[in-house]
Amino acid sequence: MKKIIGIIGAGIFFVAFGFAGWTFLGRDPMSFAGGSTVALADYKGGDITGVPKELASADPVKRGEYLTHAADCQACHTAPGGAPYAGGFAFNMPFGTIYSTNITPDKQTGIGNYTDAQFLAAVHKGIRADGEKLYPAMPYTSYSLMTDDDALAIKAYLFTLAPVHAPAKENQLSWPFNQRALLALWDVVFNPDERFRPNIGQSQPWNRGAYLAEAMGHCGECHTPRNLAFALNNHRKFSGAVTAGWRAYNITGDKESGIGDWSDEDVYLYLSTGHANGHGGAAGPMGEAADDSLSYLVPDDVHALVAYLRSIPAQASDLPRTVTTPAPASYKEGVVAGFDPRGEKIFAGACASCHDWTGVSPVTGYATLTGVRAVNDPSATNVAQTVINGVNRKTAEGKIFMPAFGEGYSDDDIAAVANYVTARFGAKGAHLTGSDVANLRMQATQLPNSQLPKSQLPKSQLPKSQAPESQEAPHG
Amino acid sequence: MLTLTINGQSRQVDAPDDMPLLWVLRDHLNLVGTKYGCGIAQCGVCTVHVGGKPVRSCQLAVGDVGTRAVVTIEGIGNTPNGAKVQQAWMEDTVPQCGYCQAGQIMSATALLDGNPHPDDSDIDAAMAGNLCRCGTYIRIRRAIKNAAAKSA
Repeated sequence: MKKIIGIIGAGIFFVAFGFAGWTFLGRDPMSFAGGSTVALADYKGGDITGVPKELASADPVKRGEYLTHAADCQACHTAPGGAPYAGGFAFNMPFGTIYSTNITPDKQTGIGNYTDAQFLAAVHKGIRADGEKLYPAMPYTSYSLMTDDDALAIKAYLFTLAPVHAPAKENQLSWPFNQRALLALWDVVFNPDERFRPNIGQSQPWNRGAYLAEAMGHCGECHTPRNLAFALNNHRKFSGAVTAGWRAYNITGDKESGIGDWSDEDVYLYLSTGHANGHGGAAGPMGEAADDSLSYLVPDDVHALVAYLRSIPAQASDLPRTVTTPAPASYKEGVVAGFDPRGEKIFAGACASCHDWTGVSPVTGYATLTGVRAVNDPSATNVAQTVINGVNRKTAEGKIFMPAFGEGYSDDDIAAVANYVTARFGAKGAHLTGSDVANLRMQATQLPNSQLPKSQLPKSQLPKSQAPESQEAPHG
Repeated sequence: MLTLTINGQSRQVDAPDDMPLLWVLRDHLNLVGTKYGCGIAQCGVCTVHVGGKPVRSCQLAVGDVGTRAVVTIEGIGNTPNGAKVQQAWMEDTVPQCGYCQAGQIMSATALLDGNPHPDDSDIDAAMAGNLCRCGTYIRIRRAIKNAAAKSA
């Protein structure tokens, strides 16, 4: 009997130990590259960290601004419609809601009293000035790779912002997730707190791209799946995950489910503008990443990111190859049997005028549905989210806009139109139900577009001849 | 300076690339037959033809028009189907208040351009994005069939 207990005990121990080792090995985001690494100070291959050469002689604040964009602090530290960097953005997670905090230099509610050492502790170790632990919604396990100089340049920039008085909102977390002290244990396993080490077997652009992707842009925080402890599982690096109700897609080189079929130029364009013809435009969180962060990077830095992305091992995920041929011009052809006819009716009334029955938009390439990953995702997660939240991006080419239909259409309507769109224009139709859509709404209640009051939408788009202050009443 | 082809004429416009075509038509070229409705491509009242396709001009940036020919309600009567639709519209006295009718006529003409003999469901699918608050839909459907029956 004792022997059996001993064997079971040993079994449990080995499984637990093996699992711990496996998760531990999954924490290094760059281990896939193999080869040997050196400390930054010992690297002779060229500049990896800091600002690009175009900004080498710029003042510290300008450099800090570039790095703040590169690290994309703004997207999470800004509430919808709120002051930039004043916090209050809600992260809705299975175990509760966490709010981002105010990182303007306000002395009472922001980081105005932070010393350099305190700021570095927050960025690298996830420790607040008062010694409390931050939740890893703050991507300090990624930022721990950032050099002290770069982190302090970001601080220098943040301290030039106008202080905003914005007290932190109270997190709503269930036990045991509301026990911040437990995170110290989590950190022992998942935050090595080590600065970036260049890989001497790789090129300078690769290393620069790795620094930008891992230490600054923290791509993996959305695109890499998480393990049972909610830490990144780099065994499946960049193979896609659902974050805040949106699907961050597989960006490995897999030809079917990843971006293996994209040209380097398309990846470059998608990163730098949030759009590449034939692949559609980014919406939701990736739209923000493009507009708040990636679009600010100089061309060499985006090329470096492309070089790094291309080296990530291909990983297949559950997505079909995208369909790149347009649908038939007539609504009567290309109909998939077994779908709720309501989807087609909604598409005819609300969608066809911009997206066309073929899926190739006569208005803008951003609105073309053919070849778009989200449309070729049989979960229809991002199609439904885009219908609910719309698109409201400010790009270098101008405003990219799609109305948010979330308040005008029911959950069943949105499920029907998402199912229709994926069936007509994508590889495989979705089978969303109204309750799936309700669930998606809950996960992403705080995206800027969903918060935009309806009354704000058309006003900025009124031509002068029919502006409301004129006497002509268009709806008389 | 942008060069646009509008109703068969070449027009020079000094407007930013991201200005909606509707603004250019109404405010720069004084082509005010095309109306502003919702401003978010959901009512159809601003419909014009761009490269032969019906497009909501409130959402099309003028810089994206390119070399595609633009036809507005002011020019549609010079096209064979446009003339037939306008004739049918008068015979069937389709409009009530008339605000949406420019867009209705543009969408109806585009429908006949691609499908000379549409049935009811074809008409519904093509016209679903053009709202009419007076509810003239029954007369719109009748007039489209009337136009389709006219010999060229």
